[in-house]
Amino acid sequence: MPYRLTRAEEEQESSDRYPLGRRQSSEEYVKSQLERNVFTGKLSDVLNSAVNWGRKNSLWPYNFGLSCCYVEMTTAFTSPHDIARFGSEVIRASPRQADFMVIAGTCFIKMAPVIQQLYDQMLEPKWVISMGSCANSGGMYDIYSVVQGVDKFLPVDVYVAGCPPRPEAFLQALQLLQDSIQEERRPLSWVVGDQGVYKAEMGSQREQKRSQRIEATELRTPDKL
Amino acid sequence: MSTDALDRHAPAQSGIDRALGLLDGFREHIEHVQPTLTGLPVLWVRRERIVEILRHLKAPPASFSMLYDLSAVDERLRAHRDGLPAADFTVFYHLLSVDRNEDLIIKVALTGGDPNLPSVTRVFANANWYEREIWDLFGITATGHPHLQRLLMPPTWHGHPLRKDYPARATEFDPYTLTVEGQQTEQEALKFEPEAWGMQRERDGSEFMFLNLGPNHPSAHGAFRIVLQLDGEEIIDCVPDIGYHHRGAEKMAERQTWHSFIPYTDRIDYTGGVMNNLPYVLAVEKLAGIEVPDRVKTVRVMMAEMFRISSHLLFLGTYLQDLGAMSPVFYSFTDRQRAYKVIEGITGFRMHPAWYRIGGLAQDLPVGWQQLVQEFLDWMPPRLREYELAMMKNALVRERTRHVAAFTTTEALEWGVTGPNLRATGCNFDLRKQRPYSGYENFDFEVPLGQHGDVFDRGQLRIEEMRQSLRIIQQCVDHMPAGDYKADHPLTTPPPRERMLQHIETLITHFLQVSWGPVLKPGESLQMVEATKGINSYYLTSDGNNMSYRTRIRTPSFPHLQQIPSLMRGGFVPDMIAHLGSIDFVMADVDR
Ligand code: SF4
Repeated sequence: MPYRLTRAEEEQESSDRYPLGRRQSSEEYVKSQLERNVFTGKLSDVLNSAVNWGRKNSLWPYNFGLSCCYVEMTTAFTSPHDIARFGSEVIRASPRQADFMVIAGTCFIKMAPVIQQLYDQMLEPKWVISMGSCANSGGMYDIYSVVQGVDKFLPVDVYVAGCPPRPEAFLQALQLLQDSIQEERRPLSWVVGDQGVYKAEMGSQREQKRSQRIEATELRTPDKL
Repeated sequence: MSTDALDRHAPAQSGIDRALGLLDGFREHIEHVQPTLTGLPVLWVRRERIVEILRHLKAPPASFSMLYDLSAVDERLRAHRDGLPAADFTVFYHLLSVDRNEDLIIKVALTGGDPNLPSVTRVFANANWYEREIWDLFGITATGHPHLQRLLMPPTWHGHPLRKDYPARATEFDPYTLTVEGQQTEQEALKFEPEAWGMQRERDGSEFMFLNLGPNHPSAHGAFRIVLQLDGEEIIDCVPDIGYHHRGAEKMAERQTWHSFIPYTDRIDYTGGVMNNLPYVLAVEKLAGIEVPDRVKTVRVMMAEMFRISSHLLFLGTYLQDLGAMSPVFYSFTDRQRAYKVIEGITGFRMHPAWYRIGGLAQDLPVGWQQLVQEFLDWMPPRLREYELAMMKNALVRERTRHVAAFTTTEALEWGVTGPNLRATGCNFDLRKQRPYSGYENFDFEVPLGQHGDVFDRGQLRIEEMRQSLRIIQQCVDHMPAGDYKADHPLTTPPPRERMLQHIETLITHFLQVSWGPVLKPGESLQMVEATKGINSYYLTSDGNNMSYRTRIRTPSFPHLQQIPSLMRGGFVPDMIAHLGSIDFVMADVDR
């Protein structure tokens, strides 16, 4: 599986652009580890899986909303959709206690520095879901006051399409995030390994679901319920 | 101008005479009486006397007690200005008299590179933010304004976005980047300086605490910031800071066709869905001279009321959550899910259906809609009873909300408060009754009123409003008129599909109307509706093009937030949280 490596930057220059940290592709990280020593390779594999399993099943979301998409996000938190099924019902009002942040809504130029500040206040390990067209790319708001996609300054893990995406789509994004967390490799301790964060390249759902999508040949007409 | 357009001027003629009568002492300062399709008298007056004129109009006998709206137009590129006084910029004041149920628009022409006019904040307190807004977006100076600073754009911004020479698209600028240094500069610029607002840092040797609530706070309902000056728990003063949600909807309207702007209206009051389409399409239909069939009117009312219920349900859940009750939100969202079942079944989308069209609807009601709606109508009443019993009759809720953040009708009018928040003070002003539109005159319903104008009344009233909305929807189900879902008019967009297939001529017309959009004659029109949160209106200026020259969106939440400091001085922090919950605002409805 191909991985993407992020290294924390030791020194910051004031002219550095967000997102900070160097990123590079890292082919077959796990295999290279394995080759080094079969036994420790297996051991760290087991340990990693166990830790990741714990992480992915108790993701605490940060209670943060920007606009319309936030309403659909909260809908996912309430009883009809019940996010507790996925272990993410512990909504935190402080970024310091949260595991992931959902950029639910439009990212405004006036708001961007604030979002960055809140992101910086979250502790590692942390993840970002970009929810809705606005957060993905600016969406229908190609206008002077809107940042054309939150990934202009934040590293995004999962993108959810829609304007707004349905609560079910948000729940699916959460599951995709869980899948990707399961494959992640983070340092198990500050003395083990090379202290890089390896994220698996998960591939886009659009490609994966393509064949399934084109199977639909007849669409329902809108004059019936 | 067509004859039917002139006919629709007729009712305004008496209004014009009355307005001129009221301004008898200022005759020589009235430059022009402008005929428009707004249905209101529009008078141009000289800039020098604007303050006196407004003061005169606010007092009896005119009693225009509310400054309903204040904004500007960049006139420099406007081609059709027949007979209008020369102007580079125009500032307009929309006054509303609740007593006489009458409106008046006063316009002031400004010329020259440094447009300015005297501030009217001494006459109308709520002119404060509106004047800051026109400074921010148009660069028009209101001299004598107590704090003329940017309102919507960041303090570090350059230029005035609503000017015609300012680019609209983000992609016309360099791509956005944020550097470590830029981050620090921006954060520094957001820092609150009490001195700049004339605030003391200490009193009698004890320091005040300045608490920054927002721009992201769980009880602030979105990106809203308010800085509190505290002495212990007591709020000495506070300064709301908005603009974290400015999506440039008004600028957007100047580049989208009349037709393709409809989806943007949905996102103004984003819990209101098609309720937002209504004032816009009604205003466009006035410009185009379209009269829609009864079926269209009734379906529009039905769906708008569905959204009123869904929005009020969201309100109810979050309102009680802000007071500390965890469970109501789970109940009310279950009901919203039911409402969405109906909305989605009919319109095909949940939050932003953009389902109304110029001259009609996107499609007809689907087969079997009655049963779908009836299920919802049967489901809701017992739920509302339960809410009343479990929540509004709950001693804790009552203690926590009664006589908290209360204001009177006079105060409400002074600050431009409308909608349920105004009616909670006992003022019977509901546009669906006072100025019926889209066939509301044919419905049998009551306008619930409050008494004390406090947090409790604002909550209770909305439960009652949901009942009335259910009543209206029931009448729609029982008496849905048969007929077409589109008006038979050349400007109906998109035109009926059957016509398109007749011959090449109709196909070309169809193609142009869908791709280019309809071209509307020059003119100005306005439509106000009783939206979920108060009075929402679209003031459209057409310059004879396929898109608007200027679209002014007046939203109810903007004045509601401006009122907060006057209400909360001397109050306590938890009371302010209760008040924020009871206003029912969304930031898109404030910043647009
Ligand atoms: S993507 Fe659509 S629904 Fe979401 S914030 Fe943007 S405009 Fe609103």
